[in-house]
Formats: sequence, C-alpha cells, structure tokens
Amino acid sequence: MVKLDQINISNNGLTKFFSPIETRIMKTLWDEGKMTTSELTSKTDIPLTSIAGTLDRLVKAGYTNRGVETINGRVRYVYEPTFSEEETANEITTRILDSLVDTFGKVAIENFSKYNDKK
Amino acid sequence: MNIIGEINCFGFCLRLSELAPYVALLIVIAIALFAARLIIKRPEQKLLTLIGAQLAILSAIAAAFYLMKCSDMLTIHLYLAYAGISLFLIFGVLRFYDRIMIKRLGARPAREMIGWTQEFVDKLTNATVYYYDSAVPKAFAAGRSIFLSLGLLELLNDDEIKAVLAHESWHIRNNSRMPFLKQLALMTFSPQRETDIEDLADYFAAKIAGSDALFSARSKLDKIFN
Repeated sequence: MVKLDQINISNNGLTKFFSPIETRIMKTLWDEGKMTTSELTSKTDIPLTSIAGTLDRLVKAGYTNRGVETINGRVRYVYEPTFSEEETANEITTRILDSLVDTFGKVAIENFSKYNDKK
Repeated sequence: MNIIGEINCFGFCLRLSELAPYVALLIVIAIALFAARLIIKRPEQKLLTLIGAQLAILSAIAAAFYLMKCSDMLTIHLYLAYAGISLFLIFGVLRFYDRIMIKRLGARPAREMIGWTQEFVDKLTNATVYYYDSAVPKAFAAGRSIFLSLGLLELLNDDEIKAVLAHESWHIRNNSRMPFLKQLALMTFSPQRETDIEDLADYFAAKIAGSDALFSARSKLDKIFN
C-alpha cells in the first residue's frame, strides 16, 4: 500500500499528488522500467543533490522498489516502479474516494452518481 | 536566596577575597587564548588553544564557587546539576549511540557486501563498518562503528571510499577523547568548533589514502551538501 501524504487540488496533472521532482522520476520510471541512479539523474536531468533524498522518500512511500547490485565490487541501486501507471492511478483514486466517503458519507456518494449521470 | 541576592553575593565575596585577582587572571588568560585561536592556523594547535581557554574558564568558575561564603546558592546547585546531567548523557548515553543507529537505520555489516572496506579499517582501528539503505551519500562514525550509506558507496570510487573510511577511522581512534572535549565545552559554555576536529580527521585521511583521493571525495560530497 502506498502512502499519500498531501493533495494539492490546484496543481496540474500528477503534481497534485507528487512533488514536481517525484513526478519526473515516476514518469521516467514508468517509461523506461528498470534504471540505475546515474541513468535516472541523466534522463531526468535532476542533480544527485535533489534526486537522492526524493528517491529515498519514494521508496519509503512504496511507489518505487530498489534493489542493490554488486558488479566488480561496485555497488549500485536499481530502481523500478512498484506499480504500473494504471495501478497507481487506481490506487490513488481508490484512496481518495475512500477518504471522501469516510468524511462526507452520503453526500460524497450522491455526487459520484450525479457525476456519472453527467458523463 | 533569590537570584539578585546571589549576584550580589558573587560580587561581595569576590571583592573581599584575596584570591580575586587570580580569578581575574584566569579570565584574562582565557580571553587571550580565545583570541590566539583566531590567528593560529594549524588545526591541532587551534584545538589545544581552545582546550587551554576552556580549562582556564573552568578553573575560574570552580575558584569563584569556592570563594562563595553564602550557603545554599541556587546558581551553584543548578550548575552542578547541569554538569551532572551532561556527564550522564555524554559518557553514558552517547557511548551506545551506534547501537541505536544500527537499529534505526537497519544497518548491516559491510563485510557482507564489500569485504575490503572492513579489511581496510581493520588496519587502522578497531571498528565495524556498516552500510545502510539510503541514496543520500553520507558517512559517519559513532561508538566503535563506521556507517556508510549505499548512496555513498555508489557515488565514490574505491580510493575515495578509502579516504572516507580513513577519515572516519580517525574519529573512532579519537572517540575516547571526544567526550571529554564535549564535556569541557558544555561546562564552560563555549561550543566546540567541529571544523578543527574535521580538519584533523582529513589530515589523517590524506596521509593514509592520498590527498588526491581525499580531495576528489570531498569535492563530490561538497557538491551534494553545499
């Protein structure tokens, strides 16, 4: 289960749920699959300074997995997204819907069905 | 006795005492040594000057307390309690700080992953090298343990890792003296300047691993943290 800390409704796209750096990392991982730290820094063009702490956070929150590889006595991290983009979308919407129903009960459910009718 | 009364007591007792000039002399020596520290360049001399100044202050405090004729002074009780608590924390709790960090970071012995790091440290000091899971490049020493993040092992080459290990080994070798320095700094209200100690550790690292390796490790890490 992933951790959803904060939602900023006024932000665009995935930055509603992730920080801009987290969004760039996740998008890259979804596009490319498995990646090392140095591949991630060059592909996202984010310096290690900013990317290292963010990667720790994404791993802790459960959005990415990382394994450790040792090649010729050198250690490196290999990252991959824990869930696909669709699975993550599914997870986030379920979590938000759960919390809306939990907070507003009937009103939330009525609005969902109205929303469905409109569509 | 209230605080104002105590301050008056300090004034009175010091003025009446024949030893007052010596207390003043100790304070002057301390100030002179603090000033000298600003001019001195070599880290070990800098550190010694600071310790000298702190010892002078400590003697001045002890002498002033000894000269007090008033009984049951709150300030003296407070100071002794402060000294006792810091003594307990520094010599009691900090010694087990590495045990706490191993648990908190989920650290594993580095010999399980890259054996040479432990062999390298074994030649320098008696300490266990641990690695822990974090992409942020970081190394530190506590108790008899050296901690390296996987991010650091990933970023640095072998020579640079050796420089870092030598730096941290210096800390371990001198760890038995550090609590005294910390205690002295706390009891004289003059915070320790970490840079002197770090410079000394870097001197040692440059001697062991070469100044090129130390310099490139430093510049890689400075880029991350500055």
